[in-house]
Amino acid sequence: MPASMLMERTHAVPDGVDGLELPVMTTDTTDMRDLFEAQAMPFIDQLYAAAMRMTRNPSDAQDLVQETFVKAFASFKQFEQGTNLKAWLYRILTNTFINTYRKKQREPYQGTIDDLEDWQLGGAESTTATSSRSAEAEAIDHLPDSAVKDALQSIPEDFRLAVYFADVEGFSYQEIAEIMKTPIGTVMSRLHRGRRLLRELLAGYALERGLGTGQAASSKKTPGSKAK
Amino acid sequence: MTDCGCEKAKAELEEYLHNELRKEDAFDIREHLEHCTDCSTEHNVGRTLTEVMQRACKETAPEDLRDQVLLRLRTIQSAH
Repeated sequence: MPASMLMERTHAVPDGVDGLELPVMTTDTTDMRDLFEAQAMPFIDQLYAAAMRMTRNPSDAQDLVQETFVKAFASFKQFEQGTNLKAWLYRILTNTFINTYRKKQREPYQGTIDDLEDWQLGGAESTTATSSRSAEAEAIDHLPDSAVKDALQSIPEDFRLAVYFADVEGFSYQEIAEIMKTPIGTVMSRLHRGRRLLRELLAGYALERGLGTGQAASSKKTPGSKAK
Repeated sequence: MTDCGCEKAKAELEEYLHNELRKEDAFDIREHLEHCTDCSTEHNVGRTLTEVMQRACKETAPEDLRDQVLLRLRTIQSAH
C-alpha cells in the first residue's frame, strides 16, 4: 500500500461532505494518474519540441507544455483508450497555444493567409531546371539546423504548424485537420504553401552561405508572381 | 500513352511524400519516379526538406520541466 495513497485519504476526507465517496474517488484518481503518467509522459520531448516551434522561446514552451499536461490530465477520463493518444495530446497543445499564446503574438496576416490563391504565392519549382534542383537538394541538406529553424519560424503560423505536424511529427492529413480544426483541403493547401515558402527560404540561405552551385537559389526567384 | 505522367506525378508528389495516396496511386508515382529524372529530382528536394526539418526540430525537454509537470499532476490530485 503506497504511503501517498493513505495521505490522500486523510487530506480528502475533511473536505468532503460525504466521507464515504471521496476516498474511493481518490484511489480512482491515483490509478488514473499512474496510467496518465505512464502513457503521456513519454511524449514530453516531442510536445516540448512542438511547443518550441509554436512559442519560439524555451520559457513559454515550458509553460505551454505544463499547461497541456495539466489540461490533458483533467480530461483524461474522456480520452478513449486505444485511440491515438499522441494526436489527442497535440490537439490540447494546439488549442492551448492558440487560446493563450497566439493572442500575445498575433501575426498581422492571421485569417487572410488561407484566402490567397495558389497562384498568388507563386509557382517557382516548375520553371527550375533539373540540374539546379539536384544541387538545391544537396545545398538544403547541408544547412545548419539553426537556418532550418529560422526559416520555419519565419513562415506564417498556420503554415508552420501544418508543415510541422506533417513533416516532423508524421501526422496524417486527417489527424492534422482534427488537431487544427480545419477541413482537410485547408490542411493540404497550408502544407503545400508552407513547404514552398520554406523551400524558397532555405534555397536562399544556401545561396547566401555559398552552399551548392548558386543556380539552385537564383533560378528560383520569380518576383512578379507573389505580388499579382 | 499520350503524356509521360509528369503532370499527375507533380500534382501528387507531396501526398506521395506524406503517404497520403491510395496504394494504386502510390504505385503509379513510384513507377514514374523510377523512369523520370525530372520528377525524381523534384521528389528528392521534397524529401530533403522533410529530413532537414526532422533533424533540426529535435528537442529534449529540460529535466526541470519533467519534474514540474509531475509535481503539478500530483498537486492537482491532492486538491480534489
